[in-house]
Amino acid sequence: MVFNWLQSLGEQTLQGLSRLGAALLMLLQSLMVLPGPRGWQRLTQQLYVVGVQSFIIILVSAGFIGMVLGLQGYTLLVDYGSEQAVGQMVALTLVRELAPVVAGLLFAGRAGSALTAELGLMKATEQLASLEMFGVDPLHRIVAPRFIAGLISLPILVIIFNLVGVYGGHLVAVEWLGVHSGAYWGNMQAAVSFSDDILNGLIKALVFAILVTWTALYQGYTCAPTSQGISEATTRTVVYSSLMILGFDFILTALMFGGL
Amino acid sequence: MAKKWLEISVGGFLVAGVVALLALALQVSGTHMGGTSEQYQLSALFDNTAGLSAKARVTLVGVTIGEVEGVSIDSQTLMARVDMTIDSSVDYLTLDSSASILTAGLLGEKYVGLSVGADEDMLVHGDMIEDTQSALVLEELVGQVLLNLGND
Amino acid sequence: MSQTYLIEVRDLSFARADRLIFDKLNIKVRRGSVTAIMGPSGCGKTTLLRLIGGQLAPAQGDIFVFGEDLSNLSRDQLTSLRSRMGVLFQSGALFTDLDVFENVAFPLREHSLLAEDELQDQVLLQLEAVGLRGARHLMPSELSGGMARRVALARAIVMGPELILYDEPFAGQDPISMAVLQRLIRTLNDQLQLTSVLVSHDVAEACAIADEVILLGRGNLLAQGSPEELLNSSDPMVHQFMHGQADGAIPFHFPAPGLMTELRTESGRKQAALTVTADVQEAS
Repeated sequence: MVFNWLQSLGEQTLQGLSRLGAALLMLLQSLMVLPGPRGWQRLTQQLYVVGVQSFIIILVSAGFIGMVLGLQGYTLLVDYGSEQAVGQMVALTLVRELAPVVAGLLFAGRAGSALTAELGLMKATEQLASLEMFGVDPLHRIVAPRFIAGLISLPILVIIFNLVGVYGGHLVAVEWLGVHSGAYWGNMQAAVSFSDDILNGLIKALVFAILVTWTALYQGYTCAPTSQGISEATTRTVVYSSLMILGFDFILTALMFGGL
Repeated sequence: MAKKWLEISVGGFLVAGVVALLALALQVSGTHMGGTSEQYQLSALFDNTAGLSAKARVTLVGVTIGEVEGVSIDSQTLMARVDMTIDSSVDYLTLDSSASILTAGLLGEKYVGLSVGADEDMLVHGDMIEDTQSALVLEELVGQVLLNLGND
Repeated sequence: MSQTYLIEVRDLSFARADRLIFDKLNIKVRRGSVTAIMGPSGCGKTTLLRLIGGQLAPAQGDIFVFGEDLSNLSRDQLTSLRSRMGVLFQSGALFTDLDVFENVAFPLREHSLLAEDELQDQVLLQLEAVGLRGARHLMPSELSGGMARRVALARAIVMGPELILYDEPFAGQDPISMAVLQRLIRTLNDQLQLTSVLVSHDVAEACAIADEVILLGRGNLLAQGSPEELLNSSDPMVHQFMHGQADGAIPFHFPAPGLMTELRTESGRKQAALTVTADVQEAS
């Protein structure tokens, strides 16, 4: 009985490894070739779909999260008489953790699922096979620009998330709760280091961008060409991406901030 | 025309990202613009640094003039060695200046405060500050107070 | 240098999952003909098209297209071979982000070095041939199924291929669209000296324009010949398919134990006796 379970575990591990390998091959094959004359155009188009269209949701979420941080931060710190430090609390929380993680999760849900669904639909309507018959490699033409677009978009979205969140915190803490504006910014500037905090947050954003976009494209490219297949693939993208973001966030945080 | 709008919005998106990054650097992390000014290095030995870490401020009469590069143990004297970078425009630190480890605010952020002495010569790059006052460690303070009380 | 047979399939075996789809299949397609490949659902017609197009590789056997063995070709050689054939996919497979004109222009932009003016003229000529020149600014989502297929057809012939493969061109079309497609397939084949292979199970439509019919079944060739020959065939399976009969060599009923043994109520059995014929009751 136990033997059977072990055997199926081993099989699943091997299958998982082979899928990981296939995914890596897909990625490498897409990026191996320099884009042709229309490459910039395709990239711009994808930047719009992946980046610009995620802008609003990032803006709104960042605003609310910043405001909540300001509020919660104030309530926590006021007991210690340290409410003037709320600026640095909001900024550090955002820059190191919340901006990359929350933006990453939202990105996975919005842009990731859209990429999977689009690619899956192209597969189901035989557009990918069509491209092949016309001698065009769908990996270069379709997958590569979407991947690069994801890599560029998420870090930019995280930067914007940081900024909007910090101002959201300012709105609540300074305007509404009476924290001194100078103290808000001053303590923050003293505590936040560009290279240690902001850049590390951006590195996280880049790692998450790779994970989410890669997963989304792989799931779309390999899904079953039916409507059920597409919907399952989309779900898988969101679930796997989210779990990976959270898992890698721990690893990266430990490496960057935990002194491991 | 839809194409134009697409390109404009993507361009705007990229520009917004760059601008936001600059704003983050200036407003949130307080990075200073205006070129890196010249700096020079000073060191000091302390009995106890009690949580002073790299990137902490170095101040003179309350004004930040530099930052702590690193804190390490000096194997010969078994004291804590603090290396600091000081802005070159501050060239009036006398040889007998003193350095103390102070606490800012209630959250206990440590920083180095310097005071100028009366000597005629100034400290230059690579010099060691002789007169140091270590950080106040709570347990030692309490111990001292008890000791004093006991003596009464 | 012209071969009699543009496509030759020799001893082809192919399996998917655990099912053997083809078992030592042999097929020859004559140059210049319109050949219809037909068969019941699931007999592997679309798979055969994919094998001919080089998108799938056979487990065993060889496929020769334009006299070349597909399994011996490098990637570049396969690409240049593919530029000599056009494929019309079942759903048209138009690129959804391009309009009709750009869809047809796509192969030209990719593979030819035509100046913009010449390219435009070529595209318009092809669209004219399929009767859709006026629709050139529509997006694929705005086209009906039949129109989408005609645009896909224009796209397939724009590079002047020698061979065209049609995957179920008549499926789900209204009678007018069907007539239009039939006319297009036949006239294009003759005017442009093409060889056309169409996969279909619309017997009447395919037979109306085909020179040769290949009937597949049970992983192999059931019959091959002109439409008339197959329609008059005495083979029971061929006969059932060509004449569209509900019951015959391929039975209507999925295998099941006797009906009376499965019914539980008296009223059920009474109903069965009234509506079901005797010989079916004994099917098991």
